[in-house]
Amino acid sequence: MNNIDLIDKYFENSLSPKEQLKFKDLLQNDKEFVKEFAFQKDLKKIISIKQQEDLKSTLQQFENKLQNKSPFLIFQKKWLVAASISLLIAVGIWSVKNTFFPSTEDLFAENFEPYRNIVQPIVRGESINTIEYRAFVSYENNEYYKAINLFNSVKNPSKTSTLFYKAMSYLATNNASEAIEILLPIATNKNLGDSEIDFKEKANWYLALAYLKNGDDKKAISQFSFIANHPSSSFKKEESIHVLKYLK
Amino acid sequence: MSDNNSKNIIDLLKQGDKLTLEKIYTDNREAFINFSKKYNIEKYDAVDIYQDAILVLRENAMRGKIDNLNSTISTYLFAIGKYKIFHSYRLKSKTELMNEINFEEKKLDFDVNLLDEELTNQQKLLKEYFNKLGDRCKNVLKLFYYQGYTLDEITEVLNYSSKKVLKSQKSRCVKQLKDLVNKSYE
Repeated sequence: MNNIDLIDKYFENSLSPKEQLKFKDLLQNDKEFVKEFAFQKDLKKIISIKQQEDLKSTLQQFENKLQNKSPFLIFQKKWLVAASISLLIAVGIWSVKNTFFPSTEDLFAENFEPYRNIVQPIVRGESINTIEYRAFVSYENNEYYKAINLFNSVKNPSKTSTLFYKAMSYLATNNASEAIEILLPIATNKNLGDSEIDFKEKANWYLALAYLKNGDDKKAISQFSFIANHPSSSFKKEESIHVLKYLK
Repeated sequence: MSDNNSKNIIDLLKQGDKLTLEKIYTDNREAFINFSKKYNIEKYDAVDIYQDAILVLRENAMRGKIDNLNSTISTYLFAIGKYKIFHSYRLKSKTELMNEINFEEKKLDFDVNLLDEELTNQQKLLKEYFNKLGDRCKNVLKLFYYQGYTLDEITEVLNYSSKKVLKSQKSRCVKQLKDLVNKSYE
């Protein structure tokens, strides 16, 4: 192991006790090493500062957005009173409506559950290191962003099962458009093999949910109707009929 | 909110998810400003302190310091905020305030705000030249030095063919910066 590797390991927090000793020794006796290490420490610091500056300006944008949203504060009192009365009525109507007519958002939340992992059995404590295995570990741990990254990096990223679970991860992270882009070709594919055909009917259901999530009621209705009226598939049929009652 | 949920939010923060950040910001802001009123802090200052607290929250999430957080994000955020108020305003009710901070979070680092620090000349130059790097370099360096990814993880996430290839890319990026800095000393 050369000295540069030691510096990398320092930043990864992965120096062994023995390597730590060597590291300290180099810091005391090797000028080049000290220089290199100091440079990288500076680099780390300025990257952090840059990130914090970016964040500060992002937060300022949130703040501006919030302050622009509350111009009603300058209204006069009597108007406020009038407004609060109508607000009370509106809230009353809204909560009644909400109980009997859930919003599409409610319908989505009520019905969406990321499909369980049926591809890659995960054994706790086992350290298999293929990317696919790790992707499913992340998926099962609800770490969907990480899962997406990993699904993108597997050996064969266009395998139907991989795509399907990637779409699940997108839906779970509120990214319905990406999910639709993946699910639509699976749901409409006529040439799937025996091992993939299962995912097709599931893709249909999740596609309907993705449309719902995206606020595309028209497509959602037609997709749920497709499932509800499908002659041979029974997956989520009742649920689709149920959702349709609220959508139409 | 369950632990699992906090864990998810922390993961999202680590990924730099803007929507999550905005939600946290919006959800807790009002309560924090009201809380600050107890200590006679003007709204304007309260917002500033609040933003600093958010910054610390993200920083500690990035550094993996709150991976095992047992409380909700809001509780944690308020703990930071209280600490900030205490430090910026040297209040009379120090003990009162300290007594309120009795979470495990006490052990953690709330002083990670770097924005007010004085920079050395070399650091100033580095900061300027970092912008001149290509996106690929910026990305690798950010993941490694800021987001705490290991070289193995970056190899995977950015689809490098091997760790070795990534390592030589990284050292090229660092060297490019060094050359730029050295040049301006000549």
